[in-house]
Amino acid sequence: MAVKIEVGAGGVPHNQILIYGLVGSIILIYLTYLNEVTNTEYFAFFGGLACVAALVWGADTIKHLCSYGLGTGVPSAGMIALGSGVIAALFGATTGVFAPIVAIIVAAIIGAVCGLLANHVVRMDIPVMVVSLTELAVVGAISVLGLIAMVGGTFNFMDLITGTTVVLGFTVQSYGTSVIGGSIVALIFMLAAIAIQHAFNACLGPNEMQDRTLMLAAECGFLSMIPIAVISFAFIAFVPALISLLVSLIGWFYTYMRYIELSKRDAYAWLDAQPILEPKGGA
Amino acid sequence: MGLIVSIILIIVALALAFFLVQMAGLLALVGIIIGGVLVGFGVHFVPVGGAPAAMGQAPGIATGVAMLAAGAGLAGLFGGAWAAPLGFPLALAGGAIGGGLLMAITCTMVNVVYIFGMGIPAASGKVDKDPITGDTFPEYKSQGTEGHGLPFISWVGGVVGGALGGLGGTLIYLELLEVYQAQMPALFGASVEQIAPIAVSLAGVFAIGMFLMNAVLAAYNITGTIEGPHDPKFKRFPRAIIAAAAASAVAGIFAIGLLELLGVF
Repeated sequence: MAVKIEVGAGGVPHNQILIYGLVGSIILIYLTYLNEVTNTEYFAFFGGLACVAALVWGADTIKHLCSYGLGTGVPSAGMIALGSGVIAALFGATTGVFAPIVAIIVAAIIGAVCGLLANHVVRMDIPVMVVSLTELAVVGAISVLGLIAMVGGTFNFMDLITGTTVVLGFTVQSYGTSVIGGSIVALIFMLAAIAIQHAFNACLGPNEMQDRTLMLAAECGFLSMIPIAVISFAFIAFVPALISLLVSLIGWFYTYMRYIELSKRDAYAWLDAQPILEPKGGA
Repeated sequence: MGLIVSIILIIVALALAFFLVQMAGLLALVGIIIGGVLVGFGVHFVPVGGAPAAMGQAPGIATGVAMLAAGAGLAGLFGGAWAAPLGFPLALAGGAIGGGLLMAITCTMVNVVYIFGMGIPAASGKVDKDPITGDTFPEYKSQGTEGHGLPFISWVGGVVGGALGGLGGTLIYLELLEVYQAQMPALFGASVEQIAPIAVSLAGVFAIGMFLMNAVLAAYNITGTIEGPHDPKFKRFPRAIIAAAAASAVAGIFAIGLLELLGVF
């Protein structure tokens, strides 16, 4: 039974958000590379910001895809996005400095194949299916890679699989205490998957507003950054991890307050049963 | 057209696997494709009710495919990964039992809530008679609903679906683990025990990813809700099998070839 999902019209065009999201997240994710250039770990938090930029774009893509009434619920779109994205992100991570680019290309391939299969084999026949699943896979790959870079300070595969432990005062190299060996990727997978689908799942329906949905997406992104920042204390130095934590907390607080503000703006017109006003934030 | 493209994709992926990791890679990719197909097929058995089921207006478990598949698949993976050191057949059995057990508990508790909490009897809207127990449904079905509760056939379907999903997910995990355990020690100059955390972690997260991809493609095939193996929508499963095979082949080739580009750049 297909449930009709209503979305608000207008707002910022999707293609504009796509370009901002893609370019912005690539630039932000490459800013974490400053860690290796300057041989510090202070720039790790840019990975989380790349994830937030990608999630905002992904929430808008999900809005476009799910407005066709897939009948499977919005979370399924987030799951397929991260399912294909995580493979691409880890495959990309093995290519050193080209990691984000390779991850995006691989994600686009997997996403396009999923979209083609969904449209032509499973016969969904949804016009935006191929484009949306391609975008979602890319978003998934960037989110995973961004959060990996945030927790480990780098997106270089060799650095992600080796960690150090202190045994009896000696520092020992160990694979088990690394970002990948410690299965942090599985946690990142779920944090990003929930963040990408929650925004539209929570805001859909009549009077859905693009700015409110996207603000919630950013809020979810910062919320996912907080546990990742806490985990990063185990992998990077204390001060860089503290910076990550502060950035995520401040970002979360700001976006949360803004989201509550926008919710009140939209709810007011409904509660008082007034005619629907044209909101200033772009309907 | 879709069928031809799928077959071409599978053949290209198999050829690439053979080219990259020789016979072991080819066999691993075949295992991954079989695992993906089992997941896609298994989802069709699970009685997914969605939002209408939550209001007692449609039969099935009151949530979406993605959530149910994630639950059954992860439970199966835990079972299978725990049993992995005990050998291939035991690990597969552990995965199937893990997934099936989770669905059995879920389906039982769903009916407990429906019958004792909401006070509604189990009645299918798609068939008049339960194919297994022979119970009749029309006299229990409320007007204006598509049925409600979880009839026995749906319960059996849920358990079979969970078992197939757990089996498929575990098969993907085991095949990837084998590939990584063969490649990594030579690549990193470490013993199999030392690289075990990375191999297990990578194989696990890729298995979850492929599991969810196949489950969502199968969910698109049944357009969200299905009552179980007696539902007319069940007959659509060949399409999902083709889609799952092709999607697993494409995702699997990147997972198998993960370490091929390492150190190139």
